[in-house]
Amino acid sequence: MTSRLATSGTHDTLTPCTHDYQVNCGNCRLNSICLPLALESDDVKQLDNIIQRSKPLQKSQHLYREGDDFQSVFAVRSGTLKAYKTTDDGREQVTAFYFPGEILGMDGISNNTHASSARALETAAVCEIPFSSLEKLSAMMPTLQRHFFQLMSREITEDQQLITLLSKNSADERVASLMLSISARNARRKLSATQFRLPMSRVDIGNYLGLTVETVSRVFSRMQKMDILSVDNKEIKILEVEGLRSMANMGA
Amino acid sequence: MDLAAKYASEGPRYTSYPTAPQFRQDFALEQYLAWQRKDGDHKRAPLSLYLHLPFCNDICYYCACNKIVTRQPGVARQYLDRLAKDIEVQSQLVGKQRPITQMHWGGGTPTYLDNAEITELMHLLASHFRLLDKGYREYSIEIDPRTVHNSTIALLKGVGFNRISLGIQDFDPLVQKAVNRIQPYSEVAPLVDCIRSHDFRSLSFDLIYGLPHQDRHTMDETLRKVIALRPDRIACYNYAHLPGRFSSQRAIDRLTLPQPEEKLLLQQIISHTLQDAGYLHIGMDHYVLPEDELAIALAEGRLQRNFQGYSLHMADDLLGLGVSSISQMGDFYLQNEREIDGYYKAIDAGELPATRGCKVTTEDKLRRHIIMSLICDLKLDITECNHQFGVDFRDRFAVELASLEPMRADGLLDISDNEIVISRRGRPFLRNICMPFDAYLNAHQGDRPPPKFSATL
Repeated sequence: MTSRLATSGTHDTLTPCTHDYQVNCGNCRLNSICLPLALESDDVKQLDNIIQRSKPLQKSQHLYREGDDFQSVFAVRSGTLKAYKTTDDGREQVTAFYFPGEILGMDGISNNTHASSARALETAAVCEIPFSSLEKLSAMMPTLQRHFFQLMSREITEDQQLITLLSKNSADERVASLMLSISARNARRKLSATQFRLPMSRVDIGNYLGLTVETVSRVFSRMQKMDILSVDNKEIKILEVEGLRSMANMGA
Repeated sequence: MDLAAKYASEGPRYTSYPTAPQFRQDFALEQYLAWQRKDGDHKRAPLSLYLHLPFCNDICYYCACNKIVTRQPGVARQYLDRLAKDIEVQSQLVGKQRPITQMHWGGGTPTYLDNAEITELMHLLASHFRLLDKGYREYSIEIDPRTVHNSTIALLKGVGFNRISLGIQDFDPLVQKAVNRIQPYSEVAPLVDCIRSHDFRSLSFDLIYGLPHQDRHTMDETLRKVIALRPDRIACYNYAHLPGRFSSQRAIDRLTLPQPEEKLLLQQIISHTLQDAGYLHIGMDHYVLPEDELAIALAEGRLQRNFQGYSLHMADDLLGLGVSSISQMGDFYLQNEREIDGYYKAIDAGELPATRGCKVTTEDKLRRHIIMSLICDLKLDITECNHQFGVDFRDRFAVELASLEPMRADGLLDISDNEIVISRRGRPFLRNICMPFDAYLNAHQGDRPPPKFSATL
């Protein structure tokens, strides 16, 4: 119903929900991913004060849309979001997936408007961090500033690696790389690196990797035949990490 | 080969004229500031930026750069904080309007910075200068292959660099060991693949000849590997052994160094091998693929030589940021404080960190034109020079021409009524050929004792 949450006081954002979305940074189990490790507890409190938490996004609800004014960056607390751009001929191009603990919205920093849209792939909770407050706080807390540049560099690096992946690599390499990336991101949140549920559809995967849905399915079957993965609809089990790695040609 | 012995002497590399040793503390700083504060074309013209990042993890024994070898945590942070102020002060003085058509990060080791610091620095530059993201621009960075992962390469591309220069020096294991820079071919080749896969506009290699244990066989092998990786540009520098001036060079055993005539042979091997492989020889020490912009620049007379070696002339002014870096702005050369402590002190006091410099006189400009023409285009158009500077070259430079006479007799150059042309034979002796036109070699004006220059061969 709303495209942006927690930016306007007219919504009943303060109504508690059964989901404990109000948990503060100090108690959040994602804080080791999302926060700079060296932040003192006093600093965490200050950061906590600027963060706005709102009720969860429903599946396929937008967090922001391309062209919206840029005001905040967002940290994913639960669920998964995808970022996409609309191409000149009106098609959707998926540009990224965001998992819990990851920050999105930084595409707006340079032009003050979001360069892409972000939509929830499943019910998702996010923390909103108003950028102006973050800038002010960063100026006072060098560790936070450094952490922020780290996040920006990670974002840039991943973009560049995706571009390289799309321009140079085979379908097998692309799918294998995405599976490894999801596995690594799960491991970072202390979840199983070898067994997970894909939050996105085959269509989104194909769109993101620049492949047709049929090709994505064919690659999955090939991987199953080679006993590298077992795939049951969205449930993925990595049977042989090394095989997946060599398929992805990691190192490139 | 007796030419080598005959012309073995010491001389400047002419990355500027007047050369850096001629800079003084009591230069016309006020005049410079006044010029900067005045409005005019120079407030809108394109500008080049040079950033000096002095830190290195390890020492390479041959190195004569201004650098600090340390692994102490936090040094990069302290430096970045000062650089931030330097950038702020300079952007206020120089203005934010000038399009930055060229930028180079040199060192030291620029990739001593981690990914977050690289991002921060580029963000800082972008918020204080007009960086370009479209159209033709050259943003380059020097990389020590031992310090980077593939993710850094992706980041560099992402923050806007489009050129990479790799410090290769030599691929021979014994040579690498003798200079304390071990980076096997098996590690460099995948890095080159990664750089290629990220579509950088150009990749350049630095090689050095005259290093310990180098001979024709090691050089053949190094060149074979270099050619296999096919960089767009190759810069071959002449190692200058000056252990008195650069203490790390004392770790190099003098007796393992190739002698001047052997060095000349190495230079000839490099020249022949690379040209046979399709590279064009540019200026003193650069080799480029024919489709490279430098080759085109040479043909169009837009080649320039400055503190970063040869490049395409895209901006008249160069602004240096960071410790020891040199700016060339309008009629002025300015060098930032060369010692890190002094640099920090100046920045912390809110001062411009430029502590030495000089104002280029009309006479200097004439001589600079002559030297840079010879060193870039390998010729001087006398008619054009007379026309541009309103002089009678033959009359004005009779003494200089007389001192070129022995070189002419040795076939290093040709002098006709309207031009001086350097022959193929004369190319290794470019510095010797320029030296007669340097008015300061025998009339040192700098406020430090005249330096001992590196050997010209």
